Amino acid sequence: MSVFDLLMGALLVASALAAVTLKNAIHAGLALVGNFLALAVVYFALEAQFLGWIQIIVYAGAVMVLFLFVIMLLFDAKADVGPNPLPWMRPIAAALAALLFLALAYAYSSLGPIDPLADVKLAGGLPKALGAILYGGWLYPVLLVAVLLFAATVAAVVLVQPQIRKTRIKPQVLERDRELKEVGR
Amino acid sequence: MSYYLLLSALLFAIGLYGVLARRTAILIFMSVELMLNSANLALAAFARGSGNLNGQAMALIVIALAAAEVAVGLGIVVAVFRSRQSTAVDDLAEFRG
Repeated sequence: MSVFDLLMGALLVASALAAVTLKNAIHAGLALVGNFLALAVVYFALEAQFLGWIQIIVYAGAVMVLFLFVIMLLFDAKADVGPNPLPWMRPIAAALAALLFLALAYAYSSLGPIDPLADVKLAGGLPKALGAILYGGWLYPVLLVAVLLFAATVAAVVLVQPQIRKTRIKPQVLERDRELKEVGR
Repeated sequence: MSYYLLLSALLFAIGLYGVLARRTAILIFMSVELMLNSANLALAAFARGSGNLNGQAMALIVIALAAAEVAVGLGIVVAVFRSRQSTAVDDLAEFRG
């Protein structure tokens, strides 16, 4: 474990804690951006260069812009929304989170040591190597993700439509209907 | 390698705390993003440890899924805000049985 690892670990944990505890939603969002960028740096160190760039472009770029846009659109920057009806929830949440961490750490400790750098063939995680895998064995998941992204786009557009517009009937048509009714009578 | 696995477990637990303790829908979504990212970190660490690129491919797919989830989730948040002028999840109690 090097100084770099410790530094990035401290940065990741500190920014994550800030993201889940800060009162102002904009501040929490910016802490989350810091967490995403630190994670991208860790990806670079783990020989996942393409993943790191995608992390910066998609997460730190697109997703966080969407979050900050919605926060500012709704003027909902206050995380504190009136008196808490469940004040005992916070310590329980902390206890559950600690329990989950212990369980995960126990599960990882039973993995046994995976010898580091035994036979690394990651090719730096560059698109040249990753693309061959994505469009090889991972082709069907990639196609399904494409369908899902399309469906999600349509769903998002439908969800935020102001209201379903009633079919407007032209006044001329109404007039003609009334005349036809009078003639029929 | 196992250091990064422990780090990802810690980030996942912090995200769980955020999901349970936060009280507005947007901040809960942010905590969910934190959990998804910690899973990606574990996948990248596994890829590094086993010298196999499949972990990174899976992490890329998780990122695409997260983008779809954010689009739909924030759409729901905006729709709820339109009808209630609030995104506090404690108020969403109409479905109580």
